[in-house]
This record gives sequence, structure tokens and C-alpha cells, in this order.
Amino acid sequence: MALLLDSDDAPSARWRPLARWAAWAAAAAALLAFPLAAGGFLTHTATLVLLTVIGAAGFHLILRVGLVSLGHAAFAGIGGYTSVILMMTFGLPWIVCFVAGGVSAAALALLVGPIVLRLKGVYFVLITFTFGEILRLIFNDWQSMTGGANGISHIPPPWPALMDTRAYYYLALFAAGAAILFCARLLASDFGRKMDAIRESESLAEANGIPVFAVKVIVFAIGCTLAGLQGSLQAHFIRLISPLAYSFQESLNFLVMNVVGGSNSLVGPIVGTVFLVALPEFLRGWVEYQFIIYGVILVVVMAALPGGLVELWQRACRWITSLSTRSGR
Amino acid sequence: MFTFAILSQIALNGITLSAIYILVALGFTLIFGVMRIVNFAHGEFAMLGGFALSFFYVSLGLHFLVALPIAAVAVGAFSLVLERVVYRRFYQREMPGMIASLGVSIALMYGGVALWGTHQRSIPSAFSAVYTIGPIFVTAERVVVIGVCLVSLALFYLVLRFTRIGLAMRVVAEDRITAEAQGIDTVATYRFAFFISTAMAALAGGLIGQLFSLSPFMGLMPLVKAFIVVILGGLGGILGAAIGGLVLGLGESFVSTFYGASAAQFISFGLIIAILLFRPQGLVGRKEG
Amino acid sequence: MRTTLLAAAALALAALINPPQGAAADLKLGVIAPLSGGGTDWGIGTQRGVELAVDEINAAGGLRVGSETYRVSTVTYDDQYSGQGGTTAATRLIEGDGVKFIFGPLGSTPVLAAQAVAAPGKAVILSSGYSPRILTPQGRHNFRVTLATPEFAPAFIGWLRRTNAQAKRVGIISPNDATGQSVVPILVDAYKKAGFEVVLDEKVERGTSDFTPLVTRMIAQRIEVIELDSSTPGDAGLIVKQARQLGYRGMIMQTGGPAIDEVVNIAGGLAEGYTTMEWFDAGSPEAAPLVAAYRAKYGKAPMNAFVPIMYNAAKLLFEAVKRAGSTDVTAVSAELEKLEGHPSLFGAVRWGGQERYGINHQLMTDFFIAQVKQGKPTVIDRVRP
Repeated sequence: MALLLDSDDAPSARWRPLARWAAWAAAAAALLAFPLAAGGFLTHTATLVLLTVIGAAGFHLILRVGLVSLGHAAFAGIGGYTSVILMMTFGLPWIVCFVAGGVSAAALALLVGPIVLRLKGVYFVLITFTFGEILRLIFNDWQSMTGGANGISHIPPPWPALMDTRAYYYLALFAAGAAILFCARLLASDFGRKMDAIRESESLAEANGIPVFAVKVIVFAIGCTLAGLQGSLQAHFIRLISPLAYSFQESLNFLVMNVVGGSNSLVGPIVGTVFLVALPEFLRGWVEYQFIIYGVILVVVMAALPGGLVELWQRACRWITSLSTRSGR
Repeated sequence: MFTFAILSQIALNGITLSAIYILVALGFTLIFGVMRIVNFAHGEFAMLGGFALSFFYVSLGLHFLVALPIAAVAVGAFSLVLERVVYRRFYQREMPGMIASLGVSIALMYGGVALWGTHQRSIPSAFSAVYTIGPIFVTAERVVVIGVCLVSLALFYLVLRFTRIGLAMRVVAEDRITAEAQGIDTVATYRFAFFISTAMAALAGGLIGQLFSLSPFMGLMPLVKAFIVVILGGLGGILGAAIGGLVLGLGESFVSTFYGASAAQFISFGLIIAILLFRPQGLVGRKEG
Repeated sequence: MRTTLLAAAALALAALINPPQGAAADLKLGVIAPLSGGGTDWGIGTQRGVELAVDEINAAGGLRVGSETYRVSTVTYDDQYSGQGGTTAATRLIEGDGVKFIFGPLGSTPVLAAQAVAAPGKAVILSSGYSPRILTPQGRHNFRVTLATPEFAPAFIGWLRRTNAQAKRVGIISPNDATGQSVVPILVDAYKKAGFEVVLDEKVERGTSDFTPLVTRMIAQRIEVIELDSSTPGDAGLIVKQARQLGYRGMIMQTGGPAIDEVVNIAGGLAEGYTTMEWFDAGSPEAAPLVAAYRAKYGKAPMNAFVPIMYNAAKLLFEAVKRAGSTDVTAVSAELEKLEGHPSLFGAVRWGGQERYGINHQLMTDFFIAQVKQGKPTVIDRVRP
């Protein structure tokens, strides 16, 4: 986490490398030990969080070039259905299905991206919303292929050993770790700086010789690929796939995760996902009130905390350091 | 199937739908035109309008045609609180404004669930007569819906065209900076535009409640229709909303009668994508600068 | 509504605070039901039905099993009517709360999801859902406590044939969701077998509120029976209202439900003649004690069919646990199967389903045909599937 925050003005930047490595090791150890200490249900929830983080990170990349895609969940659906159908109808090994899930989402994104990316801002939001709903209708209506609204149940796990939630947790941890690392490297790279330039001002970026359109198409495709991979992993974990899980509301959830967590750094979607997936699992039973709270949080974050919960944390750290330096004098 | 009786029945259904869609979409497009906010909570104001009408008409026993405008004004007044607390911070900031309005939408929807439960309820028919004109069945309900929409559209046009505040709204929508430089009170203009917009949504919500049913989740339908109408007509335009609403209402009615509801949905989505790609400014709009 | 939510919240909190393993003499029952979104009312009915049975047994000193007496309690989780919700709720109940007996879920998708979680014999699931895949020969611990379409459709449509000898042309309007998609083929088949002709079969997206195009289409096709299938109560009411306003004079049936009160509420006087099935006749003398207990605990909130159904299911489970002399999942399932003929709220227990699903785990109950007469829901016939 500390590494990811470096680009921002975080107090962690002052940590000595040794302390930083220690923190990393502690975090890794905690994540690895988690299922051993926690019960089955906590592990189940943690696995869901890890899987969702992959899609949320994909959404984050697209958001970093200034675009909001309300069709994001539908791309997760493409990945999920492709993977499940290949495995259950054609009996292919899981790893092939998993890769195919990502590739199919990527292919569709490369096909559609150059067309929808001609639109900007609100118009892009509207067209991705419409496109996502069309995909959902197809999942719902193409009964012979997708099982219709009933979806497909009794999906086998990737390997029989992964029937166990704890085992699946490690697969999810590995996948989420790889996805986050990939996104972090991408954002820190030359390409990432181009993305930031585009979000700040497209015309300025264009003037500086950045191929704006091409960058946007590539980012859109990468983001959708991550969604597709998440869809595949999630379908084999829940062992049931149905169109309900890929509706426009689910895309909204990705947006909320990013915004609530913070849309300026990759830590944002991680924090936001933990907040949004884990919290309701513990509040099931009074879901109605929980949604009212969500709505209010969304407004408050947009009005007072554009950097999301991450910014709240940074502010708190800054406040504490300022206190300690003052008292130290 | 293509007999005169059926065609005219479909046209009548379509016009009723169009009337409601236009009412919803006009408010939606007004907020976008004047303060550049895509108001995701627009449908929830329609929902509130439905429940407010239920309160004034059913609980207090006022006459329907009295209760309807009172409900609209009540929701409009309530929306001004939200305008002051939430929306004002986001004017002219498209993306943050859209996300914040999404928060308002979720909070209002589930606030409604907490207050009224989730089951669908109805507002008893105020006008239960059914007229038969030749082979066509015309319910008094639908006549009232069309009438109310026509009157409010006319009022809206008159306000926009012939009053100072209407002029101010048009100027602000055209060019905010110049408007401010000319000494137009933009804050008051915003507030007024917001009030009109939500009151129209509430009016439509009341009509939807009368014609169909009420539930806290009923706001999604008007919102999606408003989306489609403004895409058809172009965001921010008045004439566009009217034409978009007519095209959508009549189109839906014809297609779903002849080809079924699923076909209508696919066609309307396909149409939106085509229009967004080839004429993002809408069927009648002009290109934005 | 608010009090139930608060109660549910308190339950959820209590579940968080309490460690999973309760005292030795504590038996926890799980309830999975929709407590948010469209199916909320049915979910609350499920929860209340189980709770009424639990109150009753605790008031009688608890559940005696062998030498031990258990105090019974319930834990309820919302499944949001979705597959993922069903998985999470079932995982939480089984892994977190150590529950072995689950009531619900109500919809096909969450039921299948919950069954997958409980699969290697971790819990007995007494569910309700229309999908034929809910009962399989391998699912030894899965029972269905409500009639599904394959059970009641032939009997109901047979009744229609007897009472409307001349009607022929049928139009079906169904929701384009999991239930609608699995049920329609069964309905079409039942209508054909009874000598009807299914002329139109229309699927409607959730959230549609203007049904006039569909009804116009039905009228143009000279439909004599409109079948509303598993349309939600609200949608059914709207269709009835709009059809009558457009001058439709034929029969309107709903082989599914239960929805008659809501239909009367929405369509008002236009609901006259609407015919549907009821799982339970709340006006019968056998129902009186349950109705009284419900009123005493929940006031005048309407009591839907899931209250008696789940109340009945809970009482059957208690009996089976008593007979098994343990809370072992396999032993209790075996005793449930052997309850055949045991007196219950719905008459002597009958298990069916062997020839259709390959397992006798379908609770067969008589059902009632209800019609709106002079503006009031009236039970007009009792049918045995």
C-alpha cells in the first residue's frame, strides 16, 4: 500500500525503506494467514472482496482517463459466460476457459471501444449504459446458450481441490495481487503518465503528441479484460451465473467503490471494495437502511472529500504528524 | 391486425405515454441545459410526486385535480432543500454532479422503502368512465393525463418564452459567463429551474401513479425514458424533448403491439446507440460548440 | 415494516456478537428470504411463519430431543432474491452460525445456489421455488414445501376446462425472469393437454408498467383466456385493470401467485372475475389459531401465504427432529420422508414427486381456487393435485 501511495503526498513517503519492507511483509503475512484464523464465512467474504477488487481495478483504469463505463459489469458477464460455457459445454480445461474469458472481454472491448470512445463525458456514460443493458438482455433472452434468467448452476470449480473456500481464497489472492501489481506498474509507467495527461486535458495531451484516441482504446480494453477475468473467477467461485449479477446496478457499484475509496490512486478501489462488499455482508438483514447510508456517503464524498476514504486517511495522517511535530518542538 | 380500430387504439396509447415521457424529459433536460447536471435522481422526484399525490388525494381527500398540482409544488419545494444542501455544490461540474445525484437517487429510493415498504400500491381511479368512440376505447383517466400534460407544457412554454425568469434561464443555458457579466442572478435562476424541473417530474409521477402503480422503485422507468428521450431529441433542447418523447411513446406502442415487448426494448436500445454515434446532438439538435 | 427491519437488524447484530457455537441446548434454525427489493413481502412472511412456530414450541417448554430439551431460535439473512445472495446467506448460516436446518429461499436461483453450498449433506433445506431442478434424486436433504407449477397447473387448468367448456384461445403474459422462463413451457403443455390453444406467449421485462400494447394484441387475436402466470402481484393488478379498460371481456386467470388481495387493491372494481389459486384458505376453521397468533404478534399487517406454509414446514421439521432423536442432518431427512400421513395444518402430509423428479420430496397439499366476486376475494373451490 505504501508504495502505491508514493505518487501522492503521503506521510508514508518519509518511511525508511526497511520499515516499508516490514510493513509489506506484515500485510502479506496477514493476507496469507487470514483463512487460517478466520472462519468459513469470513473467508468466503474475503474471497468475494479479492475477486471484486480485480474488476474495480479495471474500472479504475478507465476512470483514470476520465471515463465512466456503466457497461463494466456486462463485460464481467462476457468473461463469466464465456468461461463457464467453454468449460461445461465443451469440457475445456479451466485455465483455457479463464484465459478465454479475459480474451473475449478484450476482443469485444476492442471491437466496441473505437466506436463508443468517439463520445465523451456524459454521452459516453449513456452509451455504455445502453450497451451494457443490451448485453444483459442477451444473457437473459438467449436461453439455449446462457440458460436465460435462470442462468447456469452447478458450475464446477477450476480444480476439484478448489471446492474448498480456503483454497479458492488463495487463488483469488494470487489473482488480485497480480492484477493490482499490473495496474500499479502500468499507472507508474510512461503510459500511465499519458493517461493522467489525457484526464487532465485531452486537447493539451493531443497537442503534446500523445495519441489520445489510441491510449483510450487500449485502456478501455485492459479495463474490460480485468472485468472479464473477474467474471470468470467469480462464476467458478459462486458456482452459479445469472444475468442479475451483470446489470447496470452492478456497474454502478464499481463506480461507487472507486469514488468512495478514492479515484485518484489505485488504493481507492481497494479500500472502496472492502467497504462496499464486506460491509453489506455484515449488515444483511437491514439492507434498506444500509442503502440510504450509501447514498448519503456518496454525496458527502463528492462534496467534501473528492479523494474518497483514502484522502480521509491521508488527512488524518497529516493531522497526526502535524500534532506530533508541534508537540516535539 | 392492421385495422383502423387497432391502429387508432395504439396511437392513443402511444400519445398518453408520450405525454408523460415529455413531462419527465423536459425537467431532466432543463437541469442539464441550465446547470450541466445529469440528474440521476430525477426519477425519484417522480416517485415522490406519486406518493405526495397519494397523500393529498387519498389520505386528505382533496379533489384529484387540486391534489395533483399541490403534490407537484410540495415535491418542488422539498427539492429546493436538496438543491441548497447538495446540488448547488455541483453546478457546472458534470461528472461529480452526476455521481452525487446518483447518491441522492439511492438515498431517496431506499428512504421511500423505509417509509412505505416495497409493495406496489395504486391510487384509486379519479375518473373511471370509459368512452367508446366507434371501435376505440378511451378511458377518462387517459384523457385527463393527456390534458394535464398539455396544460403544463403550455405553461412551461409561456414561462420560458415570455417571463424575465424564463429569459434568464435561456440566457444562462446559452452562456453562463456572459449571463453573469450581464448581472443575471444565476443562483436564483438555478433555484427556479430546479424547482420547475422537479415539480414537472413530480407531476408526471402522480400521473404514472394514477395510470399504473406506485412503489419506491418506480423512479427507474421515468429516468430511463428521460435518458432515451433526450438522446433522441438532444440534451438541453425543448423542442427536441417534445419530438423525442413523441417518437419514443408512439414507437414503443406500435412496436410492442406488433412485435412484442422484448423486440421493442432491443429496437429502442439499438436506436439509441445509432443516434448517439451518428447524431450525438439528437435528431433536431444543433452541434454543441 | 420498520419494526421488522429493526428486528431483523437486531437479529443480525445478535448473530454477529454471539459466537457461532451456542449453548448445548440451543437449536438455531436458518431462514433465507428476500428482505429487500421486490420479494420483500414474501420474505417477511417466510420469516414470520417460522418465528410463529418457534414461539409456539418454546412456549411449550422447548423441543424435546432424546434426553435433551432445546430452546429454538432463528437467524435470518437477506438473499436479495439473487443467486449470489443465496450463496452468501447459506455460507453464512452453515459456516458462520452452524445452522443445520434452513427455511427458504423462495426463488429458483437463490434456492439452487443455497443447495450448492449445502451440497455434501451439510443442511436440510425446506425451500420454495418453481424450477424443476430444485428436486433431484441426489438432493437427499432438499425438500420443497410449496406446490410448484408442474403440480398445480394440470389440476387448475383442468378446473378451467370443466367450468368453461367453450373457451379455446389462450394468451400467456409472463415475466421475463427466472421463474417465468422455467414455468411457461410447463403451462403451455398443460393448456394443450386440456384442449386449449396457446395463441400468444408474451414475456415482459421487469419494471414494465404499460401493458396496453400487449392487451391490445391479445384482444386483436380474439383471446378468450388471459393467463398471467408468475407475474408479480402488482403487475397482475395492472394487467387486469388495463385489459378491462380496453374492453376485454374474457377470462383472466393466474396459475401462480398468490396475489389476489393486491390485484383487488390495484384494479378495484375492474378486478371482478379475476381467478387465481391460493395455497391456503385463511378463512377456514383450521386456520383460526394461526391467524389469531399472527394478529397477536404482528398486528393488522396482512398475512400472506408464506406464513402458513413456513409455519407448517417448521412444525414438520420439529416433528422429524423429535422422531429422529437427534439433530443429525441425515437422520432428520429420513424422518421427514417418513412423515407421510402425519396430521398438519394443510391436512395429512403427502409427499410426491417420485415420477417427475425421481425423489419423493415434494410436499403435496390441496390448493384453493379463488375468484373476485362483488369486489371481494372468495374461495370457490378446493382442488387436489
